[in-house]
Amino acid sequence: MRSGRFAFVRTTTFRLALVYAVLFALFSAGLISYLFQATVVSIRAEAKSQLEAELRTLAIARQTGGAVRLEQSLIERALVRVRDFTYQFETATGERIVGDMPGMPVEAPDEVGEVRVVHFELEMPQVDGSPIITPIEGRIVRMEDGTVLLVGIEMDQRLRIVGQITRAVATAAPIGILLALLGGFFSARYAARRAETLTTITDAVMSGDLTQRVPVVGSGDEFDRLAEQLNAMLARIENLISATRHAGDAIAHDLRSPLSRLRNRIEGALIGPIDEVTARETLGITVEEIDHILLTFDGILRLSRLSAGAEGKLARLNLSDLASEISELFEPACEDAGLLFSEAIADRVHVMGDKTLLAQALSNVLDNAVKYSPPGGQIVLKLKAQSGRASLSVADTGPGIPVEDRTRVIERFVRLDDARTKQGSGLGLSLVDAVADLHSGTLSLQSGDGDSENPGLKVIMSLPAMD
Amino acid sequence: MRVLVIEDDLEHADFIQRVLGDAGHQVETVADGQGGLSKARAIEYDALVVDRMLPEKPGLVMMKEFRNGGGKTPALFLSALSDVDNRVEGLRAGADDYLAKPFAPEELIARVEALGRRQPQDEAPVTKLTVGDLEMDLLSRRVERNGQRIDLQPREFKLLEFLMRHAGQTVTRTMLLEKVWNYHFDPQTNVIDVHISRLRAKIDKEFDRQLLQTVRGAGYCLQA
Repeated sequence: MRSGRFAFVRTTTFRLALVYAVLFALFSAGLISYLFQATVVSIRAEAKSQLEAELRTLAIARQTGGAVRLEQSLIERALVRVRDFTYQFETATGERIVGDMPGMPVEAPDEVGEVRVVHFELEMPQVDGSPIITPIEGRIVRMEDGTVLLVGIEMDQRLRIVGQITRAVATAAPIGILLALLGGFFSARYAARRAETLTTITDAVMSGDLTQRVPVVGSGDEFDRLAEQLNAMLARIENLISATRHAGDAIAHDLRSPLSRLRNRIEGALIGPIDEVTARETLGITVEEIDHILLTFDGILRLSRLSAGAEGKLARLNLSDLASEISELFEPACEDAGLLFSEAIADRVHVMGDKTLLAQALSNVLDNAVKYSPPGGQIVLKLKAQSGRASLSVADTGPGIPVEDRTRVIERFVRLDDARTKQGSGLGLSLVDAVADLHSGTLSLQSGDGDSENPGLKVIMSLPAMD
Repeated sequence: MRVLVIEDDLEHADFIQRVLGDAGHQVETVADGQGGLSKARAIEYDALVVDRMLPEKPGLVMMKEFRNGGGKTPALFLSALSDVDNRVEGLRAGADDYLAKPFAPEELIARVEALGRRQPQDEAPVTKLTVGDLEMDLLSRRVERNGQRIDLQPREFKLLEFLMRHAGQTVTRTMLLEKVWNYHFDPQTNVIDVHISRLRAKIDKEFDRQLLQTVRGAGYCLQA
C-alpha cells in the first residue's frame, strides 16, 4: 500500500465488498423472479380455482332449489360480500334478477351449459366511495331455463400487492448494491490506512527504533488487538535488548574489574625478585579470583539460557516435597547462624516445574536470608496453595530492602551498597526471577517479620498450581 | 589407579594428567574419540575420563559404542555444559558420573577415585558396613560405635552410609548433595558442612579417635 490513491482497490476488504455486491445483485434478481413466480402465478391459479368452485356451488344451488334458490344465494352473497366475487344474474331476455352491473358486460353464450371465460372491466366503488376501473376475470353460463349467470373475480387488488413488493425489491436492490460498494470502499480505505500505519511502524522498528508503538484507536477491533499484540511484542523485544545491553555493561564492569585486579597483582608480583612463598600466595589468590570470575560467567550463562527459555524441563512436581527437602537441607545452617528456622508447608502442592531450577531458586533465597539476618533472628518458610496459585515464601528478620530498591535488586548484578561487603555475584535474585518467569510465575518482595530497625524481607514466589 | 583421559584440549588434558598424577594415579591421554574408544577396549583401565566435545567421535557416541561393545570400565563425563538435561543425557549414554567444567582439582580426584570403587561386584549385597569400630547394619538400620548405640535421623543415616561406602576416600560437598540429597545445584553456602558437623558430633564427639576428617579445600573423608 505504498503508492496510488486508489491502491485500496487492491485490498482484500474491497475485493470482498465487490464480491458481496455482485452476490447481492444476483440474490435480488433471484428474489424478484421468485416472488413473481411464486405469488403472481399462484394467485392467478388460486383465483381461477376459487372462481370455478363458486360457479359449481351456485350451479348446485340452482339444481337443488331452482332459480329461486339461486336468487336467494346470490342476494345473501351480495349482502355479505365475501371474497372478491361479483355476480350478475339475468333472465333469458336480459332482465336483471340479481347483480352489481346495469347489464351483462359481455355477450352470453347461446348454448345451454357452456361456460365461457370472459375478461372485462368494471367500475367499482372504492372504500372512500370514489369509483375505480377494475379488471375482472369471469365465467358466464346459460342455464337450461335460459337465464344467464355471470360470476367474476377481481384480480387487481391481489396483483397490486405483488407489484408493490416487486417494485420495492427492484428499487432496493440497486441501493443495496451501491451501499455494499460504498461500504467496501470505506472499510477498504480504513483497513488500508491502518495497515499503512503498521507498515510505517514496522519499517521504523526494522531501522532500529524500538521505542515505536502502534497506535491503539480504541475501536476494539482486530486491528486494535493486532496493535496491542504488536506493542506487547515490541515491548518484550525492547526489554530483552535493553536487558542484554545492561548485562553487557554489567559483565564489562563485574568481570573487567576483577580481571584488571588480577592483572595488576600478577604484574606486581613480576616486579623484582620472586621468592617461592609470595609466588605461591599470589597464585593461590589468583586461582580464587579466577574461580569467582568463572562462577559469575556460569551465572550469566545460566541466566541468559533461562531467559531465552533454553534451560529447564517442566514436569509435574511435588513442590511440598521439594520445599521440605530444601528446608531440611538449610535448617542446620540456619541454627548454626543463630537463627530460628520454622516452616509451614502445605501438603501435596503440585506445579509444572523443573526440580533443579526451583531448588536452586529456593536455595538462593534461603541463602540470602541466612546471610543477611543478624543472629537471634528468624526465618520462616511457607508454602500455600490458594485459588490456583502455589505461593512459596521466605521471610527473614534482616535489614530488608527499601521499597524503592525492590524492583532494582532483581536486575542482574545489582547489589545494594550494604551487600557489597558480603560474598556474592549479584545474580542470585535475578536467577530466582528468571526461574519464576520460566514457570509462568511471579517474584515479589515485601517487608518481612522484623522490627522497625530490621524490617526483614519476605520473598514470595507465586507459581500456577496444578490439581 | 590406571586412568584414561580422552580430551582434545591438550592444555586441559595436561592439567588433568598432572592433577590425577599428583594424586598418585597412572594417567594416559588420547585426543580423539575414535582413538579413545580403541584404547579403552584394548587395555583394562580402572576409570575413564571423557570430554563430551571430541573430534572424530563425540563423547556421547563414543560412550554408547563402548558400552554396547561390552565395555565395563567406569567412566566420568567432563563437559562445559552443566544443565541437568545434559547430565542426564551423559548418564544415559553409559557414563557413571558427570562433572561440569570448570572444576576444582580435588573434585575431579574425589570423583575419579569414587569411580574406581564402583567396579562391579559379584558378591552378595552388603548388609553391614564397618569402618574401624563404627558399624552400620543396613537391615535393622542400627548404628553402633564401640558397641554404643548411636541414634541418627534418616538423612544423617543416609549421609553416614554414603561416607562409609566410600571410606578412606575423599568425598566432596557437591558429591554429597548429589548422592545423599539427590539435588544437582550449587547451594553456595556451607549447608553441607553443617550437616557433617552434626553427624560428627554424634559419631566422633565422645571418642578419642576422630573418624570423620575434613580434607582441606576438597571435602570429607571417613577413615578408620
